Amino acid sequence: MAIIEARDIRKVYGNLEVLHDVDLSVEEGEILGLIGPSGSGKSTLLRILDLIEPPSGGELSVFGTDTVAERSRWLDLRRRMGMLFQRPIVFNASVYDNVAMGLRYRGVSGSDIDRKVKEALDAVGLSRYIKSRATDLSGGEQQRVALSRVLVTDPEILFLDEPTANLDPGSTATIERIVADLNREAGMTVLISTHDLAQGQRLAHRIAVMIEGTVAQAGSPHAVFHEPGSRKIAGFVGVQNIIPGRVVSRQGGLTTVAAKDRRIISATPSPADEVFVVIRGEDISLHRREPGYEEAENLFPARVTAIESMAPFVNVTVDCGCDLVVLMPARRAEALEIHVGMEVWVSLPAKVVHLVPQNGP
Amino acid sequence: MKMNVAILSAGTIAILFILALLAGCTGTAPGENVTPNVTTTAPAAGANVLKIATTTSLENTGLLAELERVYERETGMDLQFIAQGTGQALDTARRGDVDLVLVHAPALEKEFEDEGYGIDPRCIAYNYFIIVGPEDDPAKIRNMSAVEAFRTIAIAGMNNTPGVAFVSRGDNSGTHAQEKALWKEAGYNYTTEILDSGAWYVDAGKGMGDTLILADEKKAYTLSDEGTYLSFANRLALVPIISESTELMNRYSAIAVNPAKYPNTNARGAADFINWLISDEGKQLIGDFGKVEFGKPLFVPLYAPECTGPPFNCTCAEPVPTPA
Amino acid sequence: MNGNPIVEGFIEAIRLIVSLDPQVVEITIRSLYVSLTATFFAALIALPLGALIYFYEFRGKHAVVSTLQTLYALPTVIVGLVMFLLLSNIGPFGFLRLLYTPGGMIVTQTVLIIPLLMGLTVSALSGIDRDKRYTITALGASRLQTIVTIIVESRFAVMSSVLLGFGRAISEVGTVMIIGGNIRGATRVLTTAIALNTSMANYSVSIALGIILLAVALGVNIALSLVQRR
Repeated sequence: MAIIEARDIRKVYGNLEVLHDVDLSVEEGEILGLIGPSGSGKSTLLRILDLIEPPSGGELSVFGTDTVAERSRWLDLRRRMGMLFQRPIVFNASVYDNVAMGLRYRGVSGSDIDRKVKEALDAVGLSRYIKSRATDLSGGEQQRVALSRVLVTDPEILFLDEPTANLDPGSTATIERIVADLNREAGMTVLISTHDLAQGQRLAHRIAVMIEGTVAQAGSPHAVFHEPGSRKIAGFVGVQNIIPGRVVSRQGGLTTVAAKDRRIISATPSPADEVFVVIRGEDISLHRREPGYEEAENLFPARVTAIESMAPFVNVTVDCGCDLVVLMPARRAEALEIHVGMEVWVSLPAKVVHLVPQNGP
Repeated sequence: MKMNVAILSAGTIAILFILALLAGCTGTAPGENVTPNVTTTAPAAGANVLKIATTTSLENTGLLAELERVYERETGMDLQFIAQGTGQALDTARRGDVDLVLVHAPALEKEFEDEGYGIDPRCIAYNYFIIVGPEDDPAKIRNMSAVEAFRTIAIAGMNNTPGVAFVSRGDNSGTHAQEKALWKEAGYNYTTEILDSGAWYVDAGKGMGDTLILADEKKAYTLSDEGTYLSFANRLALVPIISESTELMNRYSAIAVNPAKYPNTNARGAADFINWLISDEGKQLIGDFGKVEFGKPLFVPLYAPECTGPPFNCTCAEPVPTPA
Repeated sequence: MNGNPIVEGFIEAIRLIVSLDPQVVEITIRSLYVSLTATFFAALIALPLGALIYFYEFRGKHAVVSTLQTLYALPTVIVGLVMFLLLSNIGPFGFLRLLYTPGGMIVTQTVLIIPLLMGLTVSALSGIDRDKRYTITALGASRLQTIVTIIVESRFAVMSSVLLGFGRAISEVGTVMIIGGNIRGATRVLTTAIALNTSMANYSVSIALGIILLAVALGVNIALSLVQRR
């Protein structure tokens, strides 16, 4: 049974609808990555799931409790969860008192607080600052204080709202490692929102994509990144090729789509007549001459029209009747002596050609 | 931030309770604060405090401080003087905010008594108003009578004679009342002919001391009681131009606030103090005041039967009845 | 008296302060007593009310806050006049006999600075940003614990507002003159004594009291900057 089950969640601030029709379930023990552009409602959704603020409508069950019906249990439920925010938040008190806050709210005895706070500060390497004023620490140190403040309360569900957005790579790695360890060793359920796609892929077992106030797609990282559910999701997860086209034939599980002057074969069952062809740049192979043997269903001659460095990769744009962007390692592009105007061949298997309806969400 | 209703309402009740307690505290606070007065002088409130509205001219001479020192030592009564103009002092008494008044404007005093607010008036002492001005006397009024002098100043002022100016208290005080009476006797309607008649007439709206300082700065004439002038004389270039004219006689009286109008005034304290003022001891104190500092007394105590005849026409010896 | 009265007044003033002149000491102590007491009671009333306004949502909340901010600029003489009418023997609270007493001055100064303290308390608490409030809630604070944490967190800003209130109370002259009556030995405070002694040309006493008032104001400002640095 899901540890969090949200249905039709809606949130309105004044006249502004921030969330609508949000359906999401979180399984116990998983790390769920919440990705989406800024302003898509990730932070608001996390606060609603953590019972910091109530939704304007919908159903929400946490730990199997119907939170709409049982408002009186919110505090108890909330005390089984914890949340780390994007901006490092510390209070104008000592580091010790900062970390002790959650425990004091829970009425934990003084000696237990003492022991737990010291352990927690040891774990994040801040023991020497225990008596310092928390506001005097650097941003990265403050965020570590904030993390230990959450972790001393042993939350069963941990919410992380873009926790590393403002941090240096070292602090980011530390926090990612702690989160991954907690999940693996203590079975802590983790919801992490991020706009760092790589972080989402690194950490999450499952990813939910938020677009314009709703969860547009939830699934495995592979599904989300390679089979995005709509043009907008495809754009957000960084798919280089999103080409409008029209289905011309369906045959034996293969769909043929006319995109400009080129016909592309896809293994996706056709969702509509008017579609977008969605292809990740790294799924396209580029050859100096026509390959002698090629399993891929699609093989086209093409001419290089542009090269854009994306160190350590390059985006090579080719014209094969329609424009395609090929992502390849810079070293390989060098080895192939790719240059603008060069005549090449591109190949791509039908199974990497994903189709989404043009009139879809 | 929303919590369950029970906790929320419990919090509300707790805060309201605290507020109610606080309100209770502050309600009683002023009373408590009055009693343990931090200064040594005053066990305030009730029968041990006598509040007296008086004139700035009396306060500024230092006479009141002297009376207070002696009377408080003898009786333990805390005398509290509120220095205002005579008109304002009488209004304060009309509202029952003080226990008696010590003033010097016979016409205003009579009004106050006729209205039933003031009882047991006793005249205490007198001195003279003086007309002070610059040594060179630009309006040439020396040796005139007071009324003549006022007329001369007005004519010179309205003709824009250089150097001629007059500063008025303008605060409805006893001195101001005297000044208005003199303009009237000189043949002017104060409101229509003197006020706003030109730059020569300066309406200060201040106490006697301030008015003297202002007149000094402007090298102008002004009407002052003798006591205040003497106590300020060493800081002023102004000199007395006309003094001891009978038209300038200045009589001080004490009047108690009628306890029938305001039962919560200290009527007994007021009667006691008036009786002390008209006692030989009080009169001697008043008569001696200023001898050391100024070389001459600032006030002349009134004795019977002199006080009952003109120009005083007042009661100065008969003790006032002490209320139970 | 020869020479410049201002220079001489200044020298005499220093002498009055150094020798702890009884009149100067008495007036200073009374001033501190009246204004500190008024600030104390104003804080007792205004801080919880300010917190109440901040923590509870109600219709017209915005109007209440802007009204409070308008009242900051309330001319003190108007407060003095209204309190005078209320406290005079013919007024509704005349039976308390508070006019021309230190108690009346305390009540009036309390009334005078309550809007300031309430408004500044609301501002002080509003200084706790949204993310901090979310953090407190997320850490599992109950409603009451949330309120306590926010108040504790804004303690320095609240202290600043109390100090500002005290500064306004002690440097105020209009209301204490009207309500206190400037009675020697009973209601004469630093500001009214300065006004009186200046009018009597006792510049030395005025200057001495002025130096003390300045020192108190300076002390309040030093305390303020220390508090605000936290």
